Amino acid sequence: MKEKEGYVDYPEQQMILYVEKDDGKYGPIQTGSYISANYMDDYVLKRRNLEMELRTQLADGMISPVKYYMVLEDLSLSELAARAGIRKSRVKKHLESKKFGGASVDELSRYANVFNVPVANLLQVILVSHQGKLESNLILENKAEKISVNHTTTTNPFVVLTTIEERF
Amino acid sequence: MIIQNFNHKMAAHCESGTITSLLNHGGLNITEPLVFGIASGIFFGYFHKMKSFAFPTFIVRNKPGQMRTNIEKRLGVKFQTYDFNNPAKGQQTLDQLLDRNIPTAAQVDFFYMDYVPSWERVHINVHFLAVIGREDNKYIISDAYFPKVVELDAASLEKGRFAGGNMSPKGFIFHLDKLPSDIDYNTAIIKGIKKACFYMLKIPIPFLGIRGMRMFARKVTEWPKFARDTEHLSHEIMKINILLEDQGTGGAGFRFMYATFLQQAADMVGKPGLKELSGELMKIGDGWREISLFSARIGKNRDLGPDKLKQLSEMIYDRADVEERFFKSLSQAIK
Repeated sequence: MKEKEGYVDYPEQQMILYVEKDDGKYGPIQTGSYISANYMDDYVLKRRNLEMELRTQLADGMISPVKYYMVLEDLSLSELAARAGIRKSRVKKHLESKKFGGASVDELSRYANVFNVPVANLLQVILVSHQGKLESNLILENKAEKISVNHTTTTNPFVVLTTIEERF
Repeated sequence: MIIQNFNHKMAAHCESGTITSLLNHGGLNITEPLVFGIASGIFFGYFHKMKSFAFPTFIVRNKPGQMRTNIEKRLGVKFQTYDFNNPAKGQQTLDQLLDRNIPTAAQVDFFYMDYVPSWERVHINVHFLAVIGREDNKYIISDAYFPKVVELDAASLEKGRFAGGNMSPKGFIFHLDKLPSDIDYNTAIIKGIKKACFYMLKIPIPFLGIRGMRMFARKVTEWPKFARDTEHLSHEIMKINILLEDQGTGGAGFRFMYATFLQQAADMVGKPGLKELSGELMKIGDGWREISLFSARIGKNRDLGPDKLKQLSEMIYDRADVEERFFKSLSQAIK
């Protein structure tokens, strides 16, 4: 690849690309991510649709919050079980809405730790009303809008402070 | 505190970049492509059904951790390594090393690195970075994927270091211990190339090397049956682009960086044939880049019917054919 073909204007995600320089030598250049520069809108669209679909299934009792986060975070059943340190057969039960209630607080805490969300978020979905639509924090973070939802951990492993802040 | 004379530098790949940074800090003037090539970093593996992965996937570099061990064996450098069962002990050891001004590499799950935008974060337990300081409850991180040094909460670093699952880091850290007084680059380069050729041509496992590439070509047409819906399939097909380009490869699934290694190595070992081969590999990389762009395009357009996946399959078969010829020539060139 020639150096001039390698440059992509996308300061939000920089990377190193190896290219052929004008003198014929190969070496690194710092450039932007091609796929993020050209296809970020498509990623956000798919992510939003997936979140909405899973949220509907969650609200309708078709899936459990564990399944909700497992799909969103692209984890397999085996991987989630290994990461949470919970038997696979038990995780499988917790994916079902009806059997989710059998999970202990300790197990919820283990799942929350893997998903990097507060334990409370396994019992609620926080959304922000934005231009007539309900959006998740991830979608808003990407769009750099004015409102952000932040979670701050405390020394109590089950308690997180959730703050809704205005960005300036 | 921050280790003042540590020179943060972006790199194509997290593991080869971190190793290069530690070696450079220790006084060894070596480039990332040389580290990558001597460590036999170039590779291919396809995983159609693996319990750890939610969807079929592929890799384009050797096993995580092998770059370090191969560099140790071939250059004669010594890294001191540590792993832990106890996170508190893991943090204490890291702090003690930082107190001694020792930049320390850590293996982490990338997902918990909250200096990365959340849309970019995925669960992958084999991300490497260098910890170069500590301020209150935050660590100062030199991550080869970032233009600047960043800060990370102690809690997030601990989560990343002690994530469970496949390739769990177990708090793994390492730092440079000793550099040899003299390095035989000639032997190191030849050994690195020989092993890479073995991985690509002769490794007797059907989903690895060139055979793995052909398996990928054959099986990619089956991907629709693993997808929840068209958007999921589109996402996974577009991830081909991310795995080849964005996820720390230096472009074209490491082919551009390995071409750079061969160009640099040609003069060092006095084998001009390697220079020609480096040019050939750059062109092969351009072909991989076409696959990246094609995947992104058909994914975006949701043009994912059997004809397009067959076209993608043929493009991958073609790469397997040209790479088989290339690695055979490379193998001959170093005899």
